[in-house]
Amino acid sequence: MGNKLIDLQGISKSYGKHMVLDDLNLYIRENEFLTLLGPSGCGKTTTLRIIGGFEKPDKGRVVFDGQDITNLPPNKRHLNTVFQKYALFTHLTIAENIAFGLKIKNKPKAYIDDKIKYALKLVNLDGFENRMADSLSGGQQQRIAIARAIVNEPKVLLLDEPLGALDLKLRQDMQYELIRLKNELGITFVFVTHDQEEALTMSDTIVVMNQGYIQQVGTPEKIYNEPENAFVADFIGDSNIIPGTMIEDELVEFLNAKFKCVDKGFGNNTPVDVVIRPEDVELVAPEKGIIQGTVTHLIFKGVHYEMEVMANGFEWLVQSTKMWPVGTKVGIKVDPFNIQIMNKPESEDEEAVGVDE
Amino acid sequence: MKSFARRFYLFLIVLFLYMPIFVLIVASFNDSKILGTWKGFTLHWYRDFFENATMMNALRTTLVIALLSATIATVLGTLACMTMAKMKKSTKNIIVGITNIPMLNAEIVTALAFMLLFIGLGVSLSFSTVLIAHVTFCIPYVVLNVLPKVQQMDSNMYEAALDLGATPIQAFFLVTVPEIMPGILSGFLMSFTMSIDDFIITHFTRGSGINTLSTMIYTEVRKGIKPEMYALSTLLFVTVFILLFLVNYGPKSKSTKKHKSLTQLMFKNKYTIAVSVCVVIIVGIFGYQLLKDDKEYIGDVYVYNWGEYIDPEVIELFEEETGYKVHYEEFETNEEMFTIVDKKARVYDVICPSDYMIEKMLENDLLTEINFDNIPNLEHIGKQYLESAKGFDPENKYCVPYCWGTVGICYNKNMVNEEVNSWSILFDEKYDGKILMQASVRDAYCVALSYLGYSINTLNEDELKEATDLLVSQKPIVQAYVVDQVRDKMIKNAAALAVIYSGEAIYMQEENDALEYVVPDEGSNVWIDGWVIPKDCQNKEAAEAWINFLCRPDIALMNFEYITYSTPNESARALIEDEDIKNSQIAFPDNSVLSRCEVYNYLGTEGDNLYDYYWTIVGGAESD
Ligand SMILES: Nc1ncnc2c1ncn2[C@@H]1O[C@H](COP(=O)(O)OP(=O)(O)O)[C@@H](O)[C@H]1O
Ligand SMILES: [Mg+2]
Repeated sequence: MGNKLIDLQGISKSYGKHMVLDDLNLYIRENEFLTLLGPSGCGKTTTLRIIGGFEKPDKGRVVFDGQDITNLPPNKRHLNTVFQKYALFTHLTIAENIAFGLKIKNKPKAYIDDKIKYALKLVNLDGFENRMADSLSGGQQQRIAIARAIVNEPKVLLLDEPLGALDLKLRQDMQYELIRLKNELGITFVFVTHDQEEALTMSDTIVVMNQGYIQQVGTPEKIYNEPENAFVADFIGDSNIIPGTMIEDELVEFLNAKFKCVDKGFGNNTPVDVVIRPEDVELVAPEKGIIQGTVTHLIFKGVHYEMEVMANGFEWLVQSTKMWPVGTKVGIKVDPFNIQIMNKPESEDEEAVGVDE
Repeated sequence: MKSFARRFYLFLIVLFLYMPIFVLIVASFNDSKILGTWKGFTLHWYRDFFENATMMNALRTTLVIALLSATIATVLGTLACMTMAKMKKSTKNIIVGITNIPMLNAEIVTALAFMLLFIGLGVSLSFSTVLIAHVTFCIPYVVLNVLPKVQQMDSNMYEAALDLGATPIQAFFLVTVPEIMPGILSGFLMSFTMSIDDFIITHFTRGSGINTLSTMIYTEVRKGIKPEMYALSTLLFVTVFILLFLVNYGPKSKSTKKHKSLTQLMFKNKYTIAVSVCVVIIVGIFGYQLLKDDKEYIGDVYVYNWGEYIDPEVIELFEEETGYKVHYEEFETNEEMFTIVDKKARVYDVICPSDYMIEKMLENDLLTEINFDNIPNLEHIGKQYLESAKGFDPENKYCVPYCWGTVGICYNKNMVNEEVNSWSILFDEKYDGKILMQASVRDAYCVALSYLGYSINTLNEDELKEATDLLVSQKPIVQAYVVDQVRDKMIKNAAALAVIYSGEAIYMQEENDALEYVVPDEGSNVWIDGWVIPKDCQNKEAAEAWINFLCRPDIALMNFEYITYSTPNESARALIEDEDIKNSQIAFPDNSVLSRCEVYNYLGTEGDNLYDYYWTIVGGAESD
């Protein structure tokens, strides 16, 4: 992947007394598929609108391709946005919608016509030229919004929860479609979503945000396997997050039991958070487990069973291909590699709260 | 049974609502002038309407005002909506409330407020004041229609346009405006309709020479309803109906998806149609105006005269011969005219008040001396009339007599079988319910005071009391105190005796030869209406040209034949061909009649108040 294309430096933004972004630093590299992920209200749209030029940051700079564009109006920026509710022009036909940007730039008619054809083909909607925007389904409108943006050959495409309004099946199809588009166009995508699965599927880089702060930046694998704090762990996939104490290197105590782990360098007797993914919890016969508990819930989820186990005052979430009926006494074991140790949050701001999705 | 009752009830309501308009529409196609008798289908009232210059003029003014005010209000209102949509909800609700109040406010209050505001600011009422008032009352209707559309519109659309490279101005005109166009269009149409519809506000804010259809109809019907009015009113009703239909059933943004493209197409067409209609109307109007004013136009003259007090052809002749454009306005009473001129609500160049009012205007320093060098035709005015005019214009400096006449009794020979030569017959119980009196203070007291042998200008309270008692005692046998209906009632034999002006009598006699007119032996009032020039006149030369023109014998003759009031123009009288009229004792009584008559004098405020005080006693007295 290439150089820094967009660089957000020390961005702060408030609405009235409400601080939405506080000293946000983030760069986006050329040709990257970067996803801003976080619960709703965490400032994703605001960040995107600052990149797009629809909002001015109170503090900080937006640098694009080495140039400070903080005060450049949206119509002068080499990027295009696909809005959350598509914002197609309802008084225009599909073709006119797509042609809008090109007409503004006074492109020749033949060029515009070619572009319309090309863009409609690209989004698999050839033949829709003369339809009106609101005679289309949500997914189709979505694709037209993308077509309308990409005919302008932007260096970056900003997409604000573009799949949010679609139903599940369509959403999955569109995810692949977007990846295909991105590869075909070879441009940078900045994608906003509150859906962690979507983020994990599509992105090169995920930026997890909460309450206007970046919690973690990394590849999907890194974010999933090595969440840096309890918020990320909780937000990405399901997790058992248990308060504990790091007794010494490679030994952690929680729920009145000692577990072997692989983490080092937390010091002795340090309070920490312990993260264990539900698929990493092993259920065994009671005497073989490190701690014992009882199965309280059981659901069949297709590829696996999901169970809740009450053990030492904590409700464990467990995923397993083996079924343990409700009421069964079980033992719990965890492989040291699957125990993830995290520092307790240092400040209140960093604390994981308000997950409302 | 129940549903029948309900349907019948509904039918009654619809009947009740639409019957009057239905009658009006039918009447506009009726060949007979008389309501209630059907003589066959005709379009000639419509033709008459389109050939009537006054009406076409009013139509043009109406459309120009409606178009301009709707356009301006639409622009202002839409811009206001853009700002309002961005406000906090609570602030917005307050603003919306404020803009809605004028819609609910009693129109008369708004109208008066505007008039007071303009006069208070020292702005003479004119075309612009009407326009300003119309723009103001139209804006709420625009906001009402546009604001919801602005709020419905996805605010990202505007940003999407910016995102695609449009400047804020391009984004506004290429995206925002088209997206809210249905709202703008219905706001415009509603404003246009309201403006066409308005009477009260226009009436109170219009300047001299400005008449819209509604104020014109109002002025015209006071003079009697002409069938052209039915045609006009029908056209007005249909226009407003169509406009409201367009507003309510015009393009809707919510339509079924399938028909969307079709509606969109229609919407686009309708939009184009609406715009082209506007353009055609505007071009037509101004083209017409240009053609019309193409003559050797040298200035304007604003004339303020009694209703039906000139032959319309005379106005046209004057315009043709002099090149002045005449703005002709009418008043109904001297007092109404006085208020307008005194308050400078409207400015006129030349006015035709009655004797006592001229005196009052002189006392209030409202008149300017006429330059008689510019009125060579004054030589045609009889010396005796100028002599009488000295009763209110002592040095004959301010007024040129126009019409004159006496107050007397008109009676129907078939109902009154005795000689009529005294006011006493009006107090005779024999004619109970067959007597019509004039509903004006001075004329009523003229009857009573003359009968009692007192001066009609008396300020003696005992004499006035006596006259009042007399009028009160007469009231039970009086059919009615009327203003305009004497003519019709006497012609239709609906009354036997009436107090009337001599000029009316001549006309009435032509229509019903059983009618006679006398000036009683006790004496009566001789009145003179004359042309005067107010101090704040804008074009004195034009005013004098106007007066001089009216004194030309052939012109005075045309007016005499049209108005039928006596003319002081002796050369005109000499030109009369009909010997009966030339020698009519009604039109031109001999000097014995004139010598027993008095002019009304201006009595001063106190005198007026005194008369008014007693007059209310008469008004409040029991009739039968
Ligand atoms: N124009 C605005 N005025 C006031 N507050 C706003 C405005 N836009 C966003 N906010 C607030 O800023 C916070 C972040 O909003 P947003 O960036 O839209 O979040 P996200 O897209 O992550 O859901 C929210 O609490 C929201 O209420
Ligand atoms: Mg958002």
